[in-house]
Amino acid sequence: MNGHPLLEARGVTVRFGGLVAVDNVSAAFAAGEMVGIIGPNGAGKTTFFNALSGVQLPTGGELFADGQRLTGAKPHRFAAMGVARTFQTPRVFGGLSVAANIDFGLQFAGRHRKASWLLKDEASILNLIGLAAQAELPAAAITPSQQRLLEIGMALATRPRLLLLDEVAAGLTEAEVDSMAQLIRRLRDELDLTVIWIEHAVTTLLRYVERVIVLHQGRKIADGTPAEVVRNAEVIEAYLGDEMVEAA
Amino acid sequence: MSTSDKTWNERLTGWLLDKKLLGRDVLVLFALTGWALAVPHWGSEFAVSMALTCLMYVALATSWTLFCGTTRYLSLATAAFFGIGAYFSAIYIEQLGWATVIVAGAGVAALVALVMGAAVLHLRGTYFAVLTFGMTELIRHAITYWEKQVTGTVGRVLTVAPERDTIYLTVLLLAVLAVATSIVIRRTRFGLALAGIGADEQRAQTLGVNTRWVKIGGFMLTAAFAGAVGAAMSVRWTYIDPSTVFNPFIGFQTVLIALIGGVATLWGPLIAAIVFSLLAETLRLQAPQLYLMTLGVLLILSVLYLPGGLASLRWETFRQWRDDTKAWWKELRRSDADKQKEALS
Repeated sequence: MNGHPLLEARGVTVRFGGLVAVDNVSAAFAAGEMVGIIGPNGAGKTTFFNALSGVQLPTGGELFADGQRLTGAKPHRFAAMGVARTFQTPRVFGGLSVAANIDFGLQFAGRHRKASWLLKDEASILNLIGLAAQAELPAAAITPSQQRLLEIGMALATRPRLLLLDEVAAGLTEAEVDSMAQLIRRLRDELDLTVIWIEHAVTTLLRYVERVIVLHQGRKIADGTPAEVVRNAEVIEAYLGDEMVEAA
Repeated sequence: MSTSDKTWNERLTGWLLDKKLLGRDVLVLFALTGWALAVPHWGSEFAVSMALTCLMYVALATSWTLFCGTTRYLSLATAAFFGIGAYFSAIYIEQLGWATVIVAGAGVAALVALVMGAAVLHLRGTYFAVLTFGMTELIRHAITYWEKQVTGTVGRVLTVAPERDTIYLTVLLLAVLAVATSIVIRRTRFGLALAGIGADEQRAQTLGVNTRWVKIGGFMLTAAFAGAVGAAMSVRWTYIDPSTVFNPFIGFQTVLIALIGGVATLWGPLIAAIVFSLLAETLRLQAPQLYLMTLGVLLILSVLYLPGGLASLRWETFRQWRDDTKAWWKELRRSDADKQKEALS
């Protein structure tokens, strides 16, 4: 480590015409952190994610990965720097087999990156995410919750240092959410990954992360431990209401 | 997932299945090459000329599919690259000699594709198709203007032309190279990147594909083949002018052949290229309009009933059609009967 945060956003702004989706958000993420991003619908969570992974070009602000300036770079540069992401609705290559989907990331961004033994090859990644039995099935034929796992597997195949998870637990049953959270925590612990996790279901997320960033109407209104955030007056007023206070 | 994505995914599966059959592909290629080699020895002048047209469209459609079919970037610029190759060859054949002029024609076309690709490959779908067509027209008019203003002519008379068999073998070599390149590229990372771009470009990008350069590289490769074919074919005409060699019909026909043959397949464009060249040569003499109409009708039919193209035809496809027609007929009769009942009651 050279003292730089793994990923840093400085005053990132994304504007769509007159609408400011992300408004001057700054945040830094250190190695091994597990951070949640919450906010009501339309708060700009996914847009912020898109900016962090290069999918959306920010209208203003700067992005740095490991001290290197990435502002304006294309997504493949982010992937090469070890920033991987999943998409809210799984975007797997339906015509390819599950194993080939994993192989795709290994062939490109993951090719020249140092690999932990857990991410050594297709088989080890499939074991890690628990889809070894489905390896030969076409990705379009597995269940939606398995596709979610595959999305994570594809991201892992780029051998990242930072994983951006966009609502990976949405629509899962209580038990599935739990095993998903355990998987994510395990990835963080064993691969020393930084995980940034967006979830709409606030209570679920607060149970698993160590730090929370709250977005509201594109602005960052809070950044701290779950316990701090739920007591933040602005956060409560903004959208949380009683649901959160009870949970904490 | 939209329906077009679904059919694409099915095609991608086909693409992968195709990929496994290396031995079959190579054998078929050898057999076809053998047949094509025999034509100048046994066939009449007419047969050779027909085979030459076949080979030209095999090379054009196969190389077009290699990039445009896999990535779903529908380029209408084939005529531009073909014309550039043809013009280059018309001007420089005396100085450079046959082999050099073909290679250089390919190079010049690839360079034009580099510039054109850098300008328009960030656009998708209709925008890309229309712009590539517009640029083809732009190049054609620019060359017409240059001919009129600078050289003071409209076209070029070709005085030097190699023997018929040399031209034939060169075009055959280009066609074989196009198919061989397709066979090889399907098995490389470059081919995987192209397929990823076709399936979900942004996802491929987030997984580390430098989509901009992959697309430009693929586009240049397609252009190089079209340029080489143009350079080789130009000597077939004794006189060329921009409207002959930049004829947009060459571009359209290439696209139609690829679509009808199956854009995601290896052999589809080849089969369709042969069928259509034969059809064109026979119909052109008797009824030229009939050929264009046939092409149009076949395109509509293939889009409606055979989205995977001719190459996706199997016995099951016919069975499926028969069952569908039966079910449709039953449905029709039932609703008729229902109507009658209603009218009675």
